[in-house]
Amino acid sequence: MVFNTGAALLDAIVLAVVSQEKEGTYGYKITHDVRRAIEVSESTLYPVLRRLQKDECLEVYDKQIDGRNRRYYKVTARGVAQLDLYRTEWKSYSTKINELFEGGISV
Amino acid sequence: MNRIEFMTELAALLQDVPAEERRDAMKYYNDYFDDAGEENEQRVIEELESPAKIAATIKADLGGSTKEYGEFTEKGYTDSRFDYKEMPAGRVNLRKDQQGSSHQNRGHEYQGNGYQGNNYQYQSTGEQPRTSNALKIFLIILLVVVGAPIIIPVAIAIIAVIFAMGITLFALFAGLVIASVAVAFAGVCVFIAGIVNLIPEIAIGLALIGTGLILAVLGTIGTVVSVRICWIVLPGIIRGFIWLCRRPFQRRAVV
Repeated sequence: MVFNTGAALLDAIVLAVVSQEKEGTYGYKITHDVRRAIEVSESTLYPVLRRLQKDECLEVYDKQIDGRNRRYYKVTARGVAQLDLYRTEWKSYSTKINELFEGGISV
Repeated sequence: MNRIEFMTELAALLQDVPAEERRDAMKYYNDYFDDAGEENEQRVIEELESPAKIAATIKADLGGSTKEYGEFTEKGYTDSRFDYKEMPAGRVNLRKDQQGSSHQNRGHEYQGNGYQGNNYQYQSTGEQPRTSNALKIFLIILLVVVGAPIIIPVAIAIIAVIFAMGITLFALFAGLVIASVAVAFAGVCVFIAGIVNLIPEIAIGLALIGTGLILAVLGTIGTVVSVRICWIVLPGIIRGFIWLCRRPFQRRAVV
């Protein structure tokens, strides 16, 4: 990909991915879902998840799966509010960029 | 390197971070290996690059220095300090960065503003109760400054009065006991004087002995009675005194 994904956009993407699962989702699946949109290395997402958890945008719980405990991430009310903020910010940002891109002369 | 070696090395590298952080990171990567499955183990290890890089990423985030030095992007954590040391491949990125540095900087600023804006919102909602607290502290300071010349002497006077009352009550009962003992002692003395005077003047001697006996008995009875009274009254006085001393502190605790 030509464009860089900054910290805030990465936060927003991760929040959006996690919020799609009502019961919460886990690290491996989050990485895969994020990868459908952008290229991320597998070591990228842990610090992002940890940070969002510390900011109380995500909460974690352990669930018994195949005889072991798997850690699940779930969006909190605060996380939902934050995601809404990112959504409106992104909408205005992308609209402006689109206008610029499409308004130019096409050769 | 296999999974176990990878996790062992990561654990060793995370020895100097708080235990909770270490446990959390180990849990995440352990889950990740479990969910990837055995067949993907080597691929995951290759993609994670090295335990050293992961440890550096976690520590950098803990230091709270992410905004100053580097940031998380799709390429992972990019930080100018680690580019030379940790990632041989980072040099390619660095060259790319130099080409488009002016564009990127603008991008960073935009992100920074958006993010900080959110933080301010949370802060302002969280700060409201703090103002009333500050007001309270200010009022207390004002009260102390303005009231100190009055409150401190008054408090000292009250403490002195209570102390004096305690001492007076104690002295009163102690005096009763001492007086009774003195009467008994005087009785004994008079009795002895009576015996001494018995030989020259029998009548005076007998009178003195009688008086002495009466005084000694009265004194003894007085001593016993006053000691009994003290036994009952003094603990009461001490308890009352302690209660009086404690009351202002208890009241303050309630406020």
